[in-house]
Amino acid sequence: MPQVLLAVFVGMVTASSVIGWLTNQVVTSVYDRTFAAGLTTQPNPFSAVSPLYYAKNTVIYIILIGALLAIVLGVQSTIRDRKAHTFDLVLSRPVRPASYLGAKLAGLLCWVAGILALSALISWTSISAIVGSVLSPGDTARLLGFYALAWLFLLPFIILGMLTGVYSRRETTALLVPIVIWSVVTFVVPQLGTAAHPVSLLNPVPAIASQGGVFQLANLVLGPLSLTEHFKQASAFVLGDTATTGSPLLSLVVMVAFAGCMLVVLLTTQRDRMRSPLDE
Amino acid sequence: MNDTAIKTTELSHSYGPKAALKGLNLSVGEGEIFGLLGHNGAGKTTAVSLLTTLIPPTEGTATILGLDIHADADEVRRTIGYLPENVQFYGNLTLLENLRFFARLSGLDKPDARIREVLEFLDFTGHESERLSTFSKGMRQRVGIAQSILHNPKVLFLDEPTSGLDPQGVRNLREIILNLNRHFGMTIFMNTHLLAEVTQTCTSIGVLREGELVYQDSLAATLTAFPDEASLEDIYLHIEARPER
Ligand SMILES: Nc1ncnc2c1ncn2[C@@H]1O[C@H](COP(=O)(O)OP(=O)(O)O)[C@@H](O)[C@H]1O
Ligand SMILES: [Mg+2]
Repeated sequence: MPQVLLAVFVGMVTASSVIGWLTNQVVTSVYDRTFAAGLTTQPNPFSAVSPLYYAKNTVIYIILIGALLAIVLGVQSTIRDRKAHTFDLVLSRPVRPASYLGAKLAGLLCWVAGILALSALISWTSISAIVGSVLSPGDTARLLGFYALAWLFLLPFIILGMLTGVYSRRETTALLVPIVIWSVVTFVVPQLGTAAHPVSLLNPVPAIASQGGVFQLANLVLGPLSLTEHFKQASAFVLGDTATTGSPLLSLVVMVAFAGCMLVVLLTTQRDRMRSPLDE
Repeated sequence: MNDTAIKTTELSHSYGPKAALKGLNLSVGEGEIFGLLGHNGAGKTTAVSLLTTLIPPTEGTATILGLDIHADADEVRRTIGYLPENVQFYGNLTLLENLRFFARLSGLDKPDARIREVLEFLDFTGHESERLSTFSKGMRQRVGIAQSILHNPKVLFLDEPTSGLDPQGVRNLREIILNLNRHFGMTIFMNTHLLAEVTQTCTSIGVLREGELVYQDSLAATLTAFPDEASLEDIYLHIEARPER
């Protein structure tokens, strides 16, 4: 299952650049003909966009497939040790649960960093190919910054998976619970805040909050919980999207806070809890 | 009489309302091979889980070489080796990688020299870079022994070590257990079903019935105490079936 998700994820990142490139090709060829026929004097719409425009859809793939991949990886890493009774052995060794789980997390984070580095390379290469010149150092730095944000965004989902892998009685619940939490954070919480734009949730650029009093209040309370919205916000800023509103700093703070809280919960796992029996 | 390696006092554990081990008083001398017998669900694994610091006692105490399983838990963990029942190692890692992993867990910083020693002792030389998924059940059980002795523990706990092995595997394991005891002086505490095993390896036995220890003595004394019974199997079934004392 993680292999399938991984393949889909890397495939989507590649596809997103190809789709961007095809759009560019089609629009440009239509534009060239229209321009040649003297029907427009406007500049080619694509000549004005930043090359990073082509990475924009990757934000959505990180939220949809990347987060699921993170959850599955997390769940499998801990539930495997319970099923194989390796936890029994580990707990008989002079090792704190925090060290063991922390080391597991560190391993997973390295692995995810590797996948994201691969995706960054794919994005960088394909965008350079689309634009026809090597991406500038500034844009390269922005692209890397975006993937670093993606890593930070995925961290709480890995931990969430690890935790349900430790606590659940069944493997199905261990997978289902974090997926439900993920969909609530991704689809329900932001909708309570913005209410008016259900479709905009799939938009890589965050929706503008409604002006109504109740919604504004909901937005204030639930805002910090909309982890995915904050990720979109921060990503839009880093990728230089001019349509974005709100503060990227607040978004970054929210993302770090999520990661930090989950880390604390993971590292305070009690020994006894690591041996809760699994219904097989 | 030897010094005491394992001593339990009214050691008890309940899973919720279910009392799995009731007031265990047991003493195992240093250098002994102790076999804990009992039907399925008698509480053998619970007893070992308490002694290996996996679960806390609901009542009572126990010491391993004088170290309290609760107060000195980390010291106890360094002193003991443990092979859980039905444990599976990392099949996609090689033998050497698996052993390095468990050596680090047991606190060895530069384990490779010791790993070579253990591999040689267990006849594994030449298999270091093979993945565990290609190993037979018997080989995997020897990997289990290997990881349990990496840090030279003084007391070794084995939970049903021969379950699921073929006769050749059982014989190999028996020789390993005897060697560990004779050459390295390890005290061995094993849970088992196989009475033939007990006759050939153990120096003393205990019988658990529904969480209570109903019998404990040396093997020699046991065999002479029941002259009417033909084998240890008969003795065990006799002890199991007799009414509460
Ligand atoms: N984690 C657990 N939760 C609840 N009951 C358990 C648990 N582990 C064991 N038991 C119960 O405790 C009793 C003793 O089990 P165990 O120590 O595994 O016996 P044995 O190893 O002798 O087969 C059994 O009745 C078993 O069902
Ligand atoms: Mg058992």
